[in-house]
Amino acid sequence: MKTAMNDSNEVLIDCQNVWKIFGARAPAAIQAVADRGLSKKQILQDFNCVVGVSDASLHVRRGEIFCIMGLSGSGKSTLIRLLNRLIEPSLGTITVKGKDVARLNAAQLRDMRARNIGMVFQSVALLPNRTVLENAAFGLEVRGVAKDERHKTARAALEKVGLADWTARYPNELSGGMQQRVGLARALAADPEIILMDEPFSALDPLIRRQLQDEFRQLTKSLGKSAVFITHDLEEAIRIGDRIAIMKDGVIVQVGTAEEIVTKPADDYVSDFVAGISRIHLVKAHSVMQPVAKFRASHPQHDVEALLRTSPDADIGELIDLTMQSNRDAVAVVENGTVIGVVTTRALLRGVAGTPEHEPAAA
Amino acid sequence: MDTSIITDRFDTWTDDALAWINDNGEWLFEFIRMLLEGTYDGILWLLQLPPFYIIAIIAALLGWRLINLASGILAAIALIFCAVMGLWAETMSTLALVATATILALVVGIPVGIVAGFVPSFNRVLEPVLDLIQTLPPYIYLLPAIALLGYGPATALIATFIVAMPPAIRLTSLGIRMTPREFIELGQASGLTSWQMFTKIRLPFAIPSIMAGINQSLMMAFGMVVIAGIVGSGGLGETIYGAVRTLDIATSINAAIAIVILTMVLDRLTQSAARRAKAGGR
Repeated sequence: MKTAMNDSNEVLIDCQNVWKIFGARAPAAIQAVADRGLSKKQILQDFNCVVGVSDASLHVRRGEIFCIMGLSGSGKSTLIRLLNRLIEPSLGTITVKGKDVARLNAAQLRDMRARNIGMVFQSVALLPNRTVLENAAFGLEVRGVAKDERHKTARAALEKVGLADWTARYPNELSGGMQQRVGLARALAADPEIILMDEPFSALDPLIRRQLQDEFRQLTKSLGKSAVFITHDLEEAIRIGDRIAIMKDGVIVQVGTAEEIVTKPADDYVSDFVAGISRIHLVKAHSVMQPVAKFRASHPQHDVEALLRTSPDADIGELIDLTMQSNRDAVAVVENGTVIGVVTTRALLRGVAGTPEHEPAAA
Repeated sequence: MDTSIITDRFDTWTDDALAWINDNGEWLFEFIRMLLEGTYDGILWLLQLPPFYIIAIIAALLGWRLINLASGILAAIALIFCAVMGLWAETMSTLALVATATILALVVGIPVGIVAGFVPSFNRVLEPVLDLIQTLPPYIYLLPAIALLGYGPATALIATFIVAMPPAIRLTSLGIRMTPREFIELGQASGLTSWQMFTKIRLPFAIPSIMAGINQSLMMAFGMVVIAGIVGSGGLGETIYGAVRTLDIATSINAAIAIVILTMVLDRLTQSAARRAKAGGR
C-alpha cells in the first residue's frame, strides 16, 4: 500500500534506541542496560523490573501512516505514549519535529501536545457533560481560541468525519463508531501534524471498523497528516499502514511495508502472524506479470491488444475480477498507454499461494 | 492504685484551658457569634418576608422542575400543613438554622475536600479526624460551644456545622480522586495546564459526588438541629425540647411531624438535583 504522494521525506518522529523499564529499581536496571547491555530476562531476574519497551528505533516521515502491531503486553501502548511523553523514556532519544522531547520544559511540552501531536484513544474519552461540538472543540478551547472561531473549526472537523448533523448531541446519544469519529474530529480540529491513534477501532464491530479504517486512511492522506497507529490486528495494520512495525515483548522485530512483511517475514513469530493473511489485496500486478514478449511467445493465438487492461497497481483481487469478465485467461498491464506486461491465470495462482519463485517480472 | 487523680488532673486541665480560651479569645468568639447569628438572621428574615403560601409555591415549583408535578404539589401541601399546625415560624427558623449551618459546612468542606482529593498525605491525616467527628455523640459539640459562644442560635449553628461538614469533605475528596484515568490522559495529551485539568476535567467529574455530599450534609444538619434545641437554638428543636420537658406529647408530635416534612422535602429536592447533575454528566 505504498502512496505515490509521499513527496517529502522529512522525518517527523525519530526514536533512537528507546527503552522503558518499569519497577522500583528501574534506575539501577537502566544503568545496567547502559553499561552492560543486560537482556530483558536478566533485568527481570536481577532487578525485578519489567521492560516495557526494549531498544526500539523507528522513524515516521511526513505524510506517512505508521502502524505498530503487537499483541497485548507487547509494549505498543507504552511505545506510543513515549512519543508524546505521557510516559518518560528510561533511555534513548525521541525527536519530534527536530526537538528532543525529553528536554522540553513543562510549558514547551504542553505546547507541543496542544499544537503538534493529537491523540485518539481506544476508550474515546469524550467528556460526557459536553456536546459533540464542544468535545470536538476541546483542544482549541484549551489553547484559548475564541468560542466562535473554535466552534467553526470544530464544525468543519465534524463535517469531515460525517457528523455535521450531530453537533448539538451529547456523547451518550451516539453509537460507538460515531463516538470514535468525534474523537478523531477532536484530534483533527487542533490541526496537529501528527496524530497518535491508540487502538482506536478495537472496540468496534467488524463492519463499522472496516469503514472507519478506510475513512481514516483517506482523511489522513487527503489532509497530509502523519499518524502512528497502534493495533493488535495485523489485517488492520495492513489496511491502514504505509509501513508496519511488529512488536513482541517490547522489541520491534520487523519494520516494513505490508508487502515486505507478508512476503519476507523476519522470523517465525512474524511468519506465524502472516500465515493467516490473505495476499489478495497485497500482491500487485507489477510483481506477478510477465513481459509481453514472453507472453506472445507462449500464447501466439492471443492478441495482446485485445486483452482487458489494468494498471500495475491493481491487486490480485481486481485481476481475478478482470479475468472472470474476460473470455481469455490473461489481463494486460498498462502504464502510460503502453502494455508493459501480461498477468496470466497461472501467475495469479502463484500470487495467491505466495510461491516464492515468481516468473521473471518486467522491471 | 487510684487512677482518679489522673482523670481529675486532666479534667481540671481541660477546664482551665477552656477558661483561658474564653478569657483571651473573647473577641474572636464574639466575632464568630456575630458572623453566625448575622447570617442566620439574614436568612431567617428572607424566609419570613413572604407569607407561608409563597414559600409553599416556591417549593412546588422547585419540586415540579426537579422531580415532577405531583411531587411539587405534595411538597406544597406538606409545607402548608406545617402552617396549619401553627408551627410556621418555628419551621422557618429551623430551615434558616439548617441552611446557615449547611452553607457554612459547604463553604469550608468543599475546598478542604478538594485539597484532600489532590494531596493524599493530607487526606490520610484528615480521615481519622473525620472518623472521630462522626463517631463522637453529637451532644459533645454543644458543651464547648455553649462555654465559648453562650446560649442561643450561634452555639446550635457551630455544633450543627461541625456535624454537617464531614460528608461534604469526604464526598468532595472522593469525587476529585475518582476522575477516570482515561480522561486524565486525555487532559495530558491535549496539553492542559494543572488549573485547566482541575476546572475542565476533574471538577466536572466530581460534581455528582459533591452534590451527594451536599445532600448528606443537609441530612446531618437536620439531625443535629433538633438536638441543638437544648441550647436554645430556637425553631422546632426547641419546641420539641420544651414539649418533652413539660410532657406535652401532642405538641412534640406536631413539631416532629413538621421536622419530618421539612427534612423530606429538602432531601428529595437536593437528591433530584444531584441526580440531574449526574444525568447531565452521563
